[in-house]
Amino acid sequence: MHEFEWLEPTSVADAGHLLAELGDDARAWAGGTALILAMRQRMLAPTHVVSLAGIAALRGIGFDTQQGLRVGALTRHSELAASALVRRHYPMLADLASRMANPQVRNQGTLGGNICYADPATDPPTCLMALSASLLLEGPHGQRVLAIEDFLVDYYTTALQPGELVVEIRVPPPVGGSDGRYERFLRTAAEHRPLVNVALHARREGGFCHTARLVVGASVAVPARQHGAEQMLAGQTVTPELAAAVADRVAGDITPLSDLRGDGEYRRAMVRVVTRRTLHTLFGLPGEISAEGSTRA
Amino acid sequence: MSQSTIGTAVPQVNARSKVLGRAQYAGDIQIAGMLHAKILRSPYPHARIVRIDTTAARALPGVKAVLTGADAPDKPWGGGPHKERYILAKDTVRFCGEEVAAVAATTEDIARDALDLIRVEYEELPAILSTDEALDEAAPTVHPGRKNNIGHEIRFERGDLAAGFAGADLVLEETYETHSQYPGYLEPMASVARIDADGRLVVWTSTQSVFLSRGRIAAALVRPVSSVRVVQATTGGGFGGKIVEDDNQLVAGLLAVFTARPVRLVNNRLEDFQACCMSLPERITLKLGMTRDGLIVAKDVRIVAECGAYAGLCGEVMHVSAMRSDNMHRLSNVRSHATMVYTNNPPRGAFRGFGGTQMMFALNSHIDSMARMLKLDPVDIHTRNAIGVGETSVHGWIIGSTGLVECIKQATEALGWHVKRAQKPATTATRRRGVGMAAAMHVSGNRTIGNWDGSTVMVKLNEDGRAIVHSSECDMGQGAMTVLAQVVAHELDIPLAHVHVAAPDTDISPFCIGTLASRVTIAAGNAAILATRKARDKLLVLAATELQVPQDALELVAGSVRVRDAPSRQRPIGDLARLHIWRHGGEGIQVSATWDARTTMPDTTLYGNVAPAYSFAAQAVEVEVDTETGRVTVIDSYVADDCGKALNPTAVHGQTNGATVQAIGWALYEQLHFEGGRLQNGNFADYTMPTADAVPMLRAGLVESNEPNGPYGAKGASETAILPGAPAIANAVFDAIGVRIRTLPITPEKVLAALRAQAPGDPRHA
Repeated sequence: MHEFEWLEPTSVADAGHLLAELGDDARAWAGGTALILAMRQRMLAPTHVVSLAGIAALRGIGFDTQQGLRVGALTRHSELAASALVRRHYPMLADLASRMANPQVRNQGTLGGNICYADPATDPPTCLMALSASLLLEGPHGQRVLAIEDFLVDYYTTALQPGELVVEIRVPPPVGGSDGRYERFLRTAAEHRPLVNVALHARREGGFCHTARLVVGASVAVPARQHGAEQMLAGQTVTPELAAAVADRVAGDITPLSDLRGDGEYRRAMVRVVTRRTLHTLFGLPGEISAEGSTRA
Repeated sequence: MSQSTIGTAVPQVNARSKVLGRAQYAGDIQIAGMLHAKILRSPYPHARIVRIDTTAARALPGVKAVLTGADAPDKPWGGGPHKERYILAKDTVRFCGEEVAAVAATTEDIARDALDLIRVEYEELPAILSTDEALDEAAPTVHPGRKNNIGHEIRFERGDLAAGFAGADLVLEETYETHSQYPGYLEPMASVARIDADGRLVVWTSTQSVFLSRGRIAAALVRPVSSVRVVQATTGGGFGGKIVEDDNQLVAGLLAVFTARPVRLVNNRLEDFQACCMSLPERITLKLGMTRDGLIVAKDVRIVAECGAYAGLCGEVMHVSAMRSDNMHRLSNVRSHATMVYTNNPPRGAFRGFGGTQMMFALNSHIDSMARMLKLDPVDIHTRNAIGVGETSVHGWIIGSTGLVECIKQATEALGWHVKRAQKPATTATRRRGVGMAAAMHVSGNRTIGNWDGSTVMVKLNEDGRAIVHSSECDMGQGAMTVLAQVVAHELDIPLAHVHVAAPDTDISPFCIGTLASRVTIAAGNAAILATRKARDKLLVLAATELQVPQDALELVAGSVRVRDAPSRQRPIGDLARLHIWRHGGEGIQVSATWDARTTMPDTTLYGNVAPAYSFAAQAVEVEVDTETGRVTVIDSYVADDCGKALNPTAVHGQTNGATVQAIGWALYEQLHFEGGRLQNGNFADYTMPTADAVPMLRAGLVESNEPNGPYGAKGASETAILPGAPAIANAVFDAIGVRIRTLPITPEKVLAALRAQAPGDPRHA
């Protein structure tokens, strides 16, 4: 790793100015779990690292019934998992945060850093997309709010402008009858990154689905809303046949990644299995099992 | 009251220094003026080096040396009998990752930057990347003069194979493929080398054998062995990978010679993946003949092993695959033909189990298949064929102790074998459970290393009654220091904390072979007993004079020599040690003793008792297979290890469970991916070794068969336990879903493909 200057701004504005001025020579440090690996392998060689640790505005978790949840970008995954507010109002998110990656990453990595890295093989963005999350961004030109779908552009690419930071992650308040399920599928138990993940958030009454948001991640370049599948579910009673048809639809609609960690066709097949299982568990269909632990929201 | 810890669970004597961060690994060493080294490696599996321009690298401020093959000695080295490799490649590179140039600079970053400034022009040559390509008559050879790329062959036949098969009720032949595993020690390879004030080369390094290292460094750098001193730094795991096959010590030494400054060379993880020897992949065709009641009457083995670009210890590893498993059973008719083949893949070599894992996978899978065909329980087949105490095996191995049958019984009963085997899973269930077992044998020591399989231990008694022990057998984390301290403390009846085992140092400690072949406890343990008894005899002689009684009236108890019939008349060991200096012209009590295994070097037909003792183990597992995802989950595992006598049950438990995890990793999780000879996943995110959450709560038990040649009955307990894991899992997968995976690892994709290929209506054929 090359030597670098360590900068410690205390406000979002200062951090933004530093990052804008330094451009590609600088990197922001949230939890550092991904950045330090890239630097050690010399994939990145910033001359300046801008630590965000001293910026109070990036911390804290808040909830109210009107605005919903706000999570400071520097919130660590383990803090999210332990938050009473998150556990109470968004158990799907809290539970995911308690199971993602590995203990080291959960204790050091941050939610904001995770989203900005835009690594496909991770969990939070998929879950947040199903929960209709948006991001408050702040940069030299002021603040803006982007839906997470618009923020995640491609493999390791976001809509973040030079000098812009994710300040907080916002999740709308839960509405009555909403329920969710998050599944992360690991190819083997020794993997710490998901091969496939599926997040399903629906308004339902028993087995009847009013509306659903269904998102597939990890096997696609960026987490993808499954609009076709969502339409199939809306206003329907979910039966095993419908679940299977929806799973087939999702498997057919995605463009799977194909790499050393999983061949495209295996990923597609697992998206089908995990989607069907997720539907079964959320809608209480008999004879099904979760892919690798699961949760209700 | 005895202060002995023999047979009791005691923490490792060096555990505290490790967890407190005080232990000094080679990479921790700092010496004034020390340089940092980096290695430029070949990006091609096979190429001619046309020219190397190091001008820009040399010009970089802080760079003190840039060496290439031209600077390396012309004498080739090798990690085994074949000397075909240079410290830095000369003219030709034969694998992706081969050492091409080395830089020493004032910081690691400058050394790394300098690598980018070295210009190497390569002419790519056709690369041979599989044994099939290598064995093609028309193929070019990886090394000049190696016809068909064959580096070594083993052939033997005993008994009458044809008659054996003719008498069989069932003959089955199948081919199995085992893959290469990265040793995955926590500490990547590291060395610090310097030329001392007298011009001698001193190397602190992570190693399993300081004397094998010294010999190799001296030979490769063309120096007298006496001008080389190797000191073992705290070693963070070896698993066979730190015996004699790595290039790290040699490059560090070469740079130290050239710069006359201390040089530190620490592999990062990717470099370690590229540079270390991985385990030897083998394709094993096994043909067994059995009577209908499960007696093995003939065994025919063919092996093609891929050593990669340089042979290292692969010939010896393959030898074990070819013959060791024959000795676990009572066999008469056996034949083996094993061929070691070069390719342009990275060099393979020694790995925990040393060829045993490969063959045990094939053999145990095969026995399970045949048991199903014969409607027998594999437990009964193993038990029926198991060699017994006092018997001599088909290859002349004399079995002084065996707990094999008890191991099988203990492991399977612990798992609930009979009940669970009877519960056939519904073939409609998505998740199905199954049970599998496997049995294995290993050696404790091995005479073939050099027709000597001994160890020497020196014991010094200080004036405070405490002991310093010198042995060169390395503690790589497995517990050599602890077991030696336990033995010496036991013999002197002093507290464990009063024994210090010094780190191996070729200038100071006695010659050794090193930590391999599960030999340290039996060889060094016996030597420690002999040495300590010699020291005790000196104490008794002196005490007899002091106390005016005959020696045989004395006893050594609780750190004092006392008159047996008048215990108040005594002399503490420390007082005697002090007296010994003053009464014996200044010579303190310092003794040395050697124990050499009473074994025989195998003859030209490979017949002979190679080891003083043989260890056995058995494992039973339960798995759950998800038939929609192909995922195999190990639900329960029980390993029973016959270690003769557990001198330290905590240490044995750690070895057993560690081996179990490594076996689960090999069977299910770990897979090296190469593309065009280039490693694609040389990191722990993509090469996924099991972590604690990837294995079930492991269970293990001991069988103490009391080895007559062992110290207090003990034999090796570090490698046997890795042998049965993969086949036990494969057999359990078959039990669950009726699918036989003969090519490791057992990936979800293979399981799904095999399920799809399963003939409908016939899901449980063998």
